[in-house]
Amino acid sequence: MKKTTIIFAVAIILGAFVLTSAAFTVDQTQQAIVIQLGRPVGDKALDPGLHFKMPLIQTVVFFDARILDFDAKPEEITTTDKKYMNVDSYTKWKIIDPLTFYTKVRTIQGARARLDDIVRSQLRVALGRYTLIEVVSHKRQEIMDMVTARSKELLMPYGIEVLDVRIKRTDLPAENARSIFGRMKAERERQAKQYRSEGQEASAKIKANADKERAIILADAGKQAEIIRGEGDAQATKIYADALGQSPDFYEFTRSLEAYRNGFGKNTRFILTPKSPFLKHLQ
Amino acid sequence: MNWDWDKLQKQQQGRPGGKPPSFDDFQEQFDKLKKFKLPGWKLVLPILVLLWIASGFYIVEPDEVGVVKQFGKFNRITTAGPNYHIPYPVESVLTPKVTQIRRVEFGFRSVGRPLTQSFQQGVSREVKEESLMLTGDENIVSVQFIVQYLIKDAEHYLFNVNDPEQTLAHAGEAAMREVIGNGKIDDALTTGKQEIQVQTRELMQRILDNYQTGLSVVAVQMQNVHPPDEVIEAFKDVASAREDKSRFINEAEAYQRDILPKARGEASRIVNAALAYKEAKVRRSEGDAARFLAVLTEYRKAKDITRERLYLEAMETILSNPDTEKLVMSEDALKQSIPYLPLDKQPRRAAPKEAQ
Repeated sequence: MKKTTIIFAVAIILGAFVLTSAAFTVDQTQQAIVIQLGRPVGDKALDPGLHFKMPLIQTVVFFDARILDFDAKPEEITTTDKKYMNVDSYTKWKIIDPLTFYTKVRTIQGARARLDDIVRSQLRVALGRYTLIEVVSHKRQEIMDMVTARSKELLMPYGIEVLDVRIKRTDLPAENARSIFGRMKAERERQAKQYRSEGQEASAKIKANADKERAIILADAGKQAEIIRGEGDAQATKIYADALGQSPDFYEFTRSLEAYRNGFGKNTRFILTPKSPFLKHLQ
Repeated sequence: MNWDWDKLQKQQQGRPGGKPPSFDDFQEQFDKLKKFKLPGWKLVLPILVLLWIASGFYIVEPDEVGVVKQFGKFNRITTAGPNYHIPYPVESVLTPKVTQIRRVEFGFRSVGRPLTQSFQQGVSREVKEESLMLTGDENIVSVQFIVQYLIKDAEHYLFNVNDPEQTLAHAGEAAMREVIGNGKIDDALTTGKQEIQVQTRELMQRILDNYQTGLSVVAVQMQNVHPPDEVIEAFKDVASAREDKSRFINEAEAYQRDILPKARGEASRIVNAALAYKEAKVRRSEGDAARFLAVLTEYRKAKDITRERLYLEAMETILSNPDTEKLVMSEDALKQSIPYLPLDKQPRRAAPKEAQ
């Protein structure tokens, strides 16, 4: 009776020990391979879930199954138009073949070194074919696609899949930035000057136009005034002609007398002889 | 029993004597303890089992989802409220907050304010290496912006990407720089902001979906966009130049509005003066004509006498002027005298006149 209980207890403890050292779980974020005396067992990585191994002679190596980040150091690159730029890129990658990965690079650290070599050189090659402004603007996506495709191809043999190489920052070295600032400044100064002279141009135009309009208004008024005066003179002339025409002789006589009356004033000397009609009674 | 009783007796007797307890006493206590413990073994196990089973209950808050893993493998999603999972080591639960809108700052860092609060123009510090960007027309602009995001797929968020927040930060920087790099500096500084925000949001979402991060970009908001410090003065001068331009134009328009009405007034004065002249002239001529005709009528009735009268009256008026010098000479004397004109005596024009 007592013996059986002891055996039972020992069996339970032994069983528990075997079970705990044989059973292992792979997390959803992981993948794993089983190594038996230094050699991988099977040809497939283990998916998440509960798995068993032989205790003592088999060990488990876990790998991250998630997308991993590789943030490269910014690097100075020369573009095809001989300009320098600091390119900061990052790479998204993933271990897709843990068996190969384990034999070729073994650790994440090792993978980073490979990524650094390959992505960096691919970036350098690709960026060297474009001008600075192409890299900054419309060719950016094309370059990233090209580098991603090439890196993917080159890193496949390591059990690594490159999902995306993306240019994060494209900065200019300090001295180039200074020359850009200088140019920006000059451009803005030019623009400011242009605005001011445009203002002066418009102002001069408006003023000249106003002066012209004033001159026209006054000239029109002058013209109209002369026409009106002419009309007045014409009407008056007609009125005079109509009236005086009835007896030109009499008009001439009376008008002459009036003219004498008005014309002879101061400093006039008359030399009259008795023969003059005015003095006929003097004889 | 007897032995026990004896012992007890002995103990009671010994107490007043101050005798220390013997080993036998401990032995007795220990035996008692052993006897007491025996029924406990049967209770402890079920209690432990019950506790183990109870540890499977968990509550998912309204802003969370429960993600249950079975032996580490994703198994199911549970929603808000009380839930149950098979306890450790079979199943485990993660409860990420999925409705909370999170926020990341790019190009600046707020000072003294939690990151989750909404933006207000407060104290912030520019981070130049993040904010300075090259534009498509080879200028440099400083862009400060924030990205609001939330977890749209808890399973992807938890299991697909090593560091989703870091990934989002990278994607945000890459996307904004790409969009700014495709545009011109004036777009970023003035009217293009809305478009840039939309494009950046879409590009970020594409990048994040490509990695299956399970994150959703709610909004990209540009906060402070300005030219770099080195050139900001020149940019401000452009703004004041634009002001100067409209000032010049306004001044010219003021001049225009000043002189034209004055000119129109002057024109009206000139025209009216002419009208006055015309009317005066016509009326004057009418008057003169009427006068002439009236005199003429009378003249016709007695031509000679009237003529004579008018002549004499006129001569009388002329010669009665005391300033007029009169000299009566006989015909002979006139013939003998040498016509001599003393021009020097005449201050003004003198006209020797012989009336008809």
